[in-house]
Amino acid sequence: MLKIFRIIERNTIEKTCLCVRYSSTDSSAEKRDEFRVLNIRKPKGRYQERKQPRTLNILPPRSESMPVDQDWGNVWPGPRSFHPATVPLPVRQGYVEKSGAPPSKYANAELVKIPNFLHLTPPVIERQCNALKQFCTPWPKALDTDEKLEKHFPLQITSSDYCFSSPSIRNPLARIVTLRFKLGSLGLNQRAKDKFLRLVGDRYDEESDSVTIVTDRCPLKKQNYDYALYLLTALYHESYNVEEWENLKTEADMEYYDWLKNKSKATIEKLFGKPHGEIENADVYADSVDKLMNEGENTYTLDKYGEAVRKLLNLPTKIEIK
Amino acid sequence: MSLIKYSCNYSLFKHVLQNNTIQKNSTRFLQTSSVCLKNQAGRYRITPKGDFPLTYEMANPPHRIAHRKAWNSWNTSNLDGGVRSAETAVEDMFIRKFVTGTWHNLFASEVIIKRQHNIIRIAGIITRGLSPRKMYFLIGYTEELLGFWLQCPVKMELQTIADRKDIVFKYI
Repeated sequence: MLKIFRIIERNTIEKTCLCVRYSSTDSSAEKRDEFRVLNIRKPKGRYQERKQPRTLNILPPRSESMPVDQDWGNVWPGPRSFHPATVPLPVRQGYVEKSGAPPSKYANAELVKIPNFLHLTPPVIERQCNALKQFCTPWPKALDTDEKLEKHFPLQITSSDYCFSSPSIRNPLARIVTLRFKLGSLGLNQRAKDKFLRLVGDRYDEESDSVTIVTDRCPLKKQNYDYALYLLTALYHESYNVEEWENLKTEADMEYYDWLKNKSKATIEKLFGKPHGEIENADVYADSVDKLMNEGENTYTLDKYGEAVRKLLNLPTKIEIK
Repeated sequence: MSLIKYSCNYSLFKHVLQNNTIQKNSTRFLQTSSVCLKNQAGRYRITPKGDFPLTYEMANPPHRIAHRKAWNSWNTSNLDGGVRSAETAVEDMFIRKFVTGTWHNLFASEVIIKRQHNIIRIAGIITRGLSPRKMYFLIGYTEELLGFWLQCPVKMELQTIADRKDIVFKYI
């Protein structure tokens, strides 16, 4: 087998030698106007040396030649991805399992990914604030307290604008408008207030005495704002409006006990022979009866009622039994 | 005796073992192998020579995102109440395809897409395989075409490295 291999090798060498010979005689054959030999492997004369890749003249990182007292706001004027050659900080980022330093800032994709605030350094922010100052107006001096604010600007309107990454600035949530005001600022009388509260239902907060109206049924913020103001106007006028059937309300239809409209008042007036405004301690008695009927019977209301009756009839105070 | 075929029911198996007479005829059992559920995406095997280069991004598998490495796409679409999440994902994929094709064989890192309001920032690390002139042309070309298609300003923010070995984090 070895012999055969050697023979094959010899043959191939001889063949290649022949090839070389042919190619060497190529030029002489051309002169004699004979058929040229096509040499695919190595066309003679046209051989070009391979182009060496040009070495780029790369400048050293800019951060190395920066003066110490430079204005950083001019170097990094706006938001931009991190660039190691510009930022003169020796920052590193990355997790290394074995003990060792984290990857440096050069060729570090992690530093490119995270958002940076290199364009918002404190001196730059100060400069921008000073530039914006000329467009600001001072706060009105007359509106120095919250009470005055509430008095002069009783309506509070809240709506939101949204910032997000998208080519469009439209957000469906921006349409929602919230209207808030104190019920006291409407100046309603007792009957109208009662009707107003029935109309708004759970939109009234008793603790802060405020009404909150949220409108979101229209597609645009302006439409919802207009609708909220329309609702406020309609509620105000409707609460003053008295329908015919409202006058048919009798004592049995009352939702709460009102001493002024009840038998108790008439009895007291008959007993003393004068109107209830002139009777001593009648207001205390009226208050205690209201509470007893509206809040229900408990120790507190019953005790108050007893005291009020004793005061009204000039009876001695309750004797404590020891 | 009738020939009975048995499945791999354990109680039957036990029953068969106890009765030797039937055992002679019980010829078939099903054989099952253990279930092979393995997470393989984004993970690289150790090579015998230990000479396979990994970047920092490749060295950390996907479950390390937000712990050891950050996302390649930054936007507000997938946050709670975010809009256009599907469109953003498709656009990001399109940008990646376009950029890797335009900057053929030049990107050494992943294409990082960061969106701020309507601006799209495309960042990455490329090798210095092009002359600066061609690179400037490609930057303008990419920004202009993507800006036209996506209808918003696009910015390319690239870093260059002299050699691909610069970005190698470790060899496995």
